[in-house]
Amino acid sequence: IPRQVSELVQFLLVKDQKKIPIKRADMLKNIIREYRDAYSEIVKRADRTLQEVFGLQLVEIDTKRHIYILINNLPRAEGEYLCRGKEKEKMGLLLVILSFIFMKGNSVKDSALWEFLHLLRVYPGKQHSVFGDVRKLVTEEFVRQKYLETTAIPLTDPPEFKYQWGPRAEKETSKKDVLNFVAKMQGKDPTFWASQYSEAQTN
Amino acid sequence: ENREAMLNSKSNRLTEALEEANRLFDGVCRAREAALDAQFLVIASNIGKEKANELHSEMSAFDSTAFAEDLLTFMGINRTEVEESDDSEDVPGGFLPSDAWQTMGEEAPKYFRRAPTFHYMMGSFKSEPPVPKQRIERQKKASRGKAERAMPAQLKKMEESHQEATEKEVERILRILQTHFENDPNTPISFFDFVIDPNSFARTVENVFHVSFLTRDGLAKIKLDEDQLPIIEPIKPSEGGEEESRAGARNQVVISLDQKEWK
Repeated sequence: IPRQVSELVQFLLVKDQKKIPIKRADMLKNIIREYRDAYSEIVKRADRTLQEVFGLQLVEIDTKRHIYILINNLPRAEGEYLCRGKEKEKMGLLLVILSFIFMKGNSVKDSALWEFLHLLRVYPGKQHSVFGDVRKLVTEEFVRQKYLETTAIPLTDPPEFKYQWGPRAEKETSKKDVLNFVAKMQGKDPTFWASQYSEAQTN
Repeated sequence: ENREAMLNSKSNRLTEALEEANRLFDGVCRAREAALDAQFLVIASNIGKEKANELHSEMSAFDSTAFAEDLLTFMGINRTEVEESDDSEDVPGGFLPSDAWQTMGEEAPKYFRRAPTFHYMMGSFKSEPPVPKQRIERQKKASRGKAERAMPAQLKKMEESHQEATEKEVERILRILQTHFENDPNTPISFFDFVIDPNSFARTVENVFHVSFLTRDGLAKIKLDEDQLPIIEPIKPSEGGEEESRAGARNQVVISLDQKEWK
């Protein structure tokens, strides 16, 4: 069993590279195989290793379909981050989008989102110097990584979509953090936005 | 249709539409009409929800335009310069520097608990077919990209324990030695020529290590030649028995080799 645990840990670390959530079925098929009965024990130990050795945590974001992600357990360190440039810039865009969604009541229409991004010189139809195909980034990549969730608004023609926070966003950040970001950008106190503030407190 | 008109918070059109639908429903006696009515209700409730949403944000006075302006400011926009572009219809003027999003990228990770992406420090291991006296390159980052896509294959490699990897290397070196000897049976190879990798000291040490296995297992022997320099040759299976019984079979040779000498 210890060997399965370390194999699972490596499997999870490599799978996490693209930030696409990991399915339990994949874990069973590739690593656990014949040790199915010990599955929950293996996963528990793998999680403990991830926490104690790497400072990461295995979190289930979909209890019905058993889908997992890895998040960082450690408190955020000050100072420079060692990420490659592109990753950080995408996080920047994502943070802006998540803030917009939250401040607008947790759900926005796609037209509203693009209208907002328009103000930041980001256009769905035009190649962006940093992000390339932005529409693809937002509607496909962020959605697949579970940072954003998109649902069709019924009976709209042409079909319209709404955007909300995805389960990964819920786990990796919080309404409180995002509100603090907005407050910092606008040079105001978070309490300035009363209902968002109280919502962030309870979250 | 008329969606935008209904959304206008100042208008009562949604209420009017609902009231009309109510009236019409009294005259309904066919299933199809009732279905249309149900459809209408769905649309109406969606619109109602949107209107409620608008109310909510207005209460907390979130001005997205101001937010956008503040973001641009943070990203270092220069408002005194005007950007020469063709899409400045309703976009506020100003020159956005090319590292704008990088600036945002420095700020953003502070708000996320994102697991750092995992990469192998040394790149992945790849064994090349042996060619004598030619350096075997260590895999660098370039082919790690390939390894990412062939993920299951990579995992299989990780399963090999250190034990097996060493054995494989030893076998490989034996085969090189034997091949060389087949081609040229009467010339033993200079030990140093055999093990030294001109480009990698670490590799050289590894080669010596693997060769020591061969001698230990009686698959190769090292002798001194006329110039007192060590030479290595493989042992044919028939010789093996003889060697063990000879008293001098257990010679130990200590070779010291440091980086300076290696150069």
